[in-house]
Amino acid sequence: MKKDIDLLKKRNRRRRDVMEKVGSTGLALSGLIGLMFLSVLVWQIAIPTFIEGETGEVSPASEFIPVSEYILKWDHPTVDDNGDLIGDEVVLRLTWDDNGAERTHDVAITVTSERNLREDIVVNESGVSTDAVTVGKKTKFYVQSSLTVPVEIEQLTGPVPAADETGSPAVSSFVISADVDVLVSEGELVSHPFALVAWVVLLVSIVLLSYPVTPLLKGMESLIGRQRMLRFGSYGLGVLTLLAGAFSLEAYLGAACWVVSAVGMNRMLEGMERLRSQGRDITQFDRLKHSITNREGVLLWARMLLVFSALFIPLLVDIPFLTERYQDIFQPYASGIRSAFFGTIWVMGIAMVVSMPVSIGAAIYLEEYAAPTGMTKLIQALVTNLAGVPSIVFGMFGLAVFVKQGGIGMGLGPSILAAGFTMGVMAMPIIVLASQEALRSVPSSIRESAYGVGCTQWQVTRDHVLPSAMPGIMTGSILAMSRIMGEAAPLVVVGAAALVLFDPEPLAGITGGNLNFTVIPIQIYFWTSEPEHAWHSMAAAASISLILLLATMNSVAILLRQHFRKRLNP
Amino acid sequence: MTALNETEVKQSSEDEPSLLERISKERTRYILFFTSTSVILITLGIIQTLLFEATTFFSEVADGRGWFSAEMDLSGLASSSGMALLVLVACLALEWGLSQRPQFLSKAPALVTSPTKPVVYGLVAATAILWLVVESFLLCLVLLVPWFMWKRTVNAYLVLSSPSSKSTDKSVMYGLFFGSLTVLFFSITTNYGGALGEFFFSTQWTPTGACADRRSLCDNMSFGVNSLLFTTIQVAFGALFIAVPLGVGCAIYLSEYASPRLVAVVKPTLELLAGIPSVVYGFFAFIYIGPLVVEFGEFAFARGWIDAPPNVLNPINGAIVVGVMILPLVASMSEDALRAVPNELREGSLALGATRIETTFRVMIQASLSGILASIILALSRAVGETMAVTLAVGTVAVYTTNMFLPAQTMTAYIAQRVGGDLPFGEIGYLTIFAVGLYLFVITLCLNLLGNKVLSAYREAY
Repeated sequence: MKKDIDLLKKRNRRRRDVMEKVGSTGLALSGLIGLMFLSVLVWQIAIPTFIEGETGEVSPASEFIPVSEYILKWDHPTVDDNGDLIGDEVVLRLTWDDNGAERTHDVAITVTSERNLREDIVVNESGVSTDAVTVGKKTKFYVQSSLTVPVEIEQLTGPVPAADETGSPAVSSFVISADVDVLVSEGELVSHPFALVAWVVLLVSIVLLSYPVTPLLKGMESLIGRQRMLRFGSYGLGVLTLLAGAFSLEAYLGAACWVVSAVGMNRMLEGMERLRSQGRDITQFDRLKHSITNREGVLLWARMLLVFSALFIPLLVDIPFLTERYQDIFQPYASGIRSAFFGTIWVMGIAMVVSMPVSIGAAIYLEEYAAPTGMTKLIQALVTNLAGVPSIVFGMFGLAVFVKQGGIGMGLGPSILAAGFTMGVMAMPIIVLASQEALRSVPSSIRESAYGVGCTQWQVTRDHVLPSAMPGIMTGSILAMSRIMGEAAPLVVVGAAALVLFDPEPLAGITGGNLNFTVIPIQIYFWTSEPEHAWHSMAAAASISLILLLATMNSVAILLRQHFRKRLNP
Repeated sequence: MTALNETEVKQSSEDEPSLLERISKERTRYILFFTSTSVILITLGIIQTLLFEATTFFSEVADGRGWFSAEMDLSGLASSSGMALLVLVACLALEWGLSQRPQFLSKAPALVTSPTKPVVYGLVAATAILWLVVESFLLCLVLLVPWFMWKRTVNAYLVLSSPSSKSTDKSVMYGLFFGSLTVLFFSITTNYGGALGEFFFSTQWTPTGACADRRSLCDNMSFGVNSLLFTTIQVAFGALFIAVPLGVGCAIYLSEYASPRLVAVVKPTLELLAGIPSVVYGFFAFIYIGPLVVEFGEFAFARGWIDAPPNVLNPINGAIVVGVMILPLVASMSEDALRAVPNELREGSLALGATRIETTFRVMIQASLSGILASIILALSRAVGETMAVTLAVGTVAVYTTNMFLPAQTMTAYIAQRVGGDLPFGEIGYLTIFAVGLYLFVITLCLNLLGNKVLSAYREAY
């Protein structure tokens, strides 16, 4: 034994130290490579969203082709009738290899409204013939090279060849542009004054609930006892906002702001009343914090509402790529994903309505009611295995059951309704598993104490188990929704269209009308399959939009989870 | 006494409410039960859909080729695999007979129950000669079974002569039974006679052959799913090749070494990687990984390692991107498995003087092996079923080739590509996707069942 320990000490320590270091570094590296993949992915998808201008290569001349040519053409003039520039100047950079040394030459191009005005750029041994050319719109002109090496062409600035009359998009501009107007847009308020006031009131009540200062608390003291008046006043103002805003989205958000701020203020006043009745000083915020009913929860919802409504009420965030532009088959850069965006929202909405009640009910049955019989085991095994079935198989199920007419088919056609049902079926096992997990984590002491005071099983479930499990169920549902939001495979099978130039009609499967629909992942798929580079830029932009939407949904889920976890285990 | 019993029985039958009463009394319970049966309905729906359309496909192919679908090709029974089947069935009958009436053994000739050496050597030589004569691998393998059976019989005779209990081991019988079923399947399909044989054993996938009418079956069409399956396997195992070392390494680092702060950074990032949609990964593969692989492929082509110039769309591209996709799954599941190992094992190992790396590799990984294995199996199932990324990365040409730098097509990609265009219900192209889908479903189902079984094994262990 002694010999072994000696060996271990003297001979192997060095080797073991080295092994330890190498091993742990290797393991750390494997984690880092995952991170690296993510950063490379985001970076590589971000690059094509910056619009490229004309890029290409003049092939080298040979004895058979003494002068090789490269065709250029701009569709719209870059100068107006007076000769002033409309946007940026078009500058082409020619680069070639001159016996090992790299030579570059910039050529400025002026495109006039006059047609058939042609001037060529000639490259030979001595260099480039000209520094500036003037050509007509929609006129082909050439870069002619007699060099035996390839000449690379790159557009540095100015509108791309297929740009519109205003000279946009220009080289290096971002595909997804956003116009942000604060309060005023084109001389008008972006939203109704009532809604604006509601938003400000919400902001004020959030500030009051989170960082109250003594003078403000003293001021609020006079309101104690008038909660009823305050509440009905806010509800009245909410209705007024709705009426004044003519039931627009802003009006609904404004009304929601009124209601939430009224709830928050009421709870705060109640808490102050409670404190005062105990004979304590209401300016002690530490005590006040604990006497407000569910302060954290109200704050969470109020903050979420504040951030979401900020996009519409004080600001006007307008992303034409997402909500205004349809696909434009002639001008890729002028395309947008409006129909896909609304298609995604409808498909997800239908999927949610279809799957959530059924799957939460199934989870409750399996966790709370079912006796461990063979049937229960079978259902449990089927749920677990359905969660692992490839998404495309669900698509084929949807094709045969929802799309097809005849047999067991419902004959909805390739419509939003069929797609929503298919996605709902796909989301179901995921939601069931997440809800089961959430129900299982509810401590059994809650159930037992409720049974102890004589509740029926349904009362126990409805009033005691479900409220505790709800955060977990909601998180699971949101994550399932975000997963099906990114799925394209089932919808390719169900029959999403490649080109949709109108807003989708959600009930077209039943009422007739235009069935065609598309969603963002499908749009990315079809745009990636296009050969032209411009479409890849659009696919990249759509990818980034999709990733951002998913990241928002996931972070809401994570926020909810952390908030409720903190509340359950304070 | 009897009267009392009768009233008791009567009462209990009155207390027993009818189903209708039970439903009205416990309405919620039954509503909830019906919601959960929707899971059964969905599963049955999937299986019914796939089976129905796939069966239509097979019978239509068999009809179109002039084969009667139920008959398949029975001439295969006369071949070497048919002989193998006969051997197996004979062994099965012997085993069954002996298990029913073991006393028959005592009537058997002594040459069988206690053979002399010349007999054994003679039979060994005969088997060796048969091996040389017979070219079928299957028959050679099956010829070993009688030897095994003989040894069992002799053992059973020895046991029988001593007063011990009857053997109740039925595993050999089950093994023989499934073995003969498998051989039966091989013997009637290996000749590529039947529609099933063509589907499972030939390697050419040309569902849109050069026919006058693309919609109906013609002789130029060929439905050998192996060319799709081969690419699927290339992509899935290539993905595991990337995801398993990185994912398991990452999991070990996160659970054994990393500080909580680092875990707080890395875990959400992995979740984010898992949340990115597969079509975005496909786009990424298309614009970034593909060109990189082509550069490497050109390097290999210049040195003559591969026989054709590389293409942007290829299985390696798909394998890399699917590997990145399943990496978070492997990492998070393996980490869960590692965290489930009781701390005593770790501490005990460290207390014995092992370094951390030794503890990790000799204790922790051994202890959580089944969990890690389950994560790998489930990741494999995910990789097999992955669609959009593979469609965009691997290509749309169904070829059976070992050169992984050429465009190919996986099973999922075939379904997505074929269904992307207009596909009228009932035509042959529409039916092929269900046949491929059924095969895919069965493969992933087997993998999932296996994975979940392994997973529950380790959950029971701790």
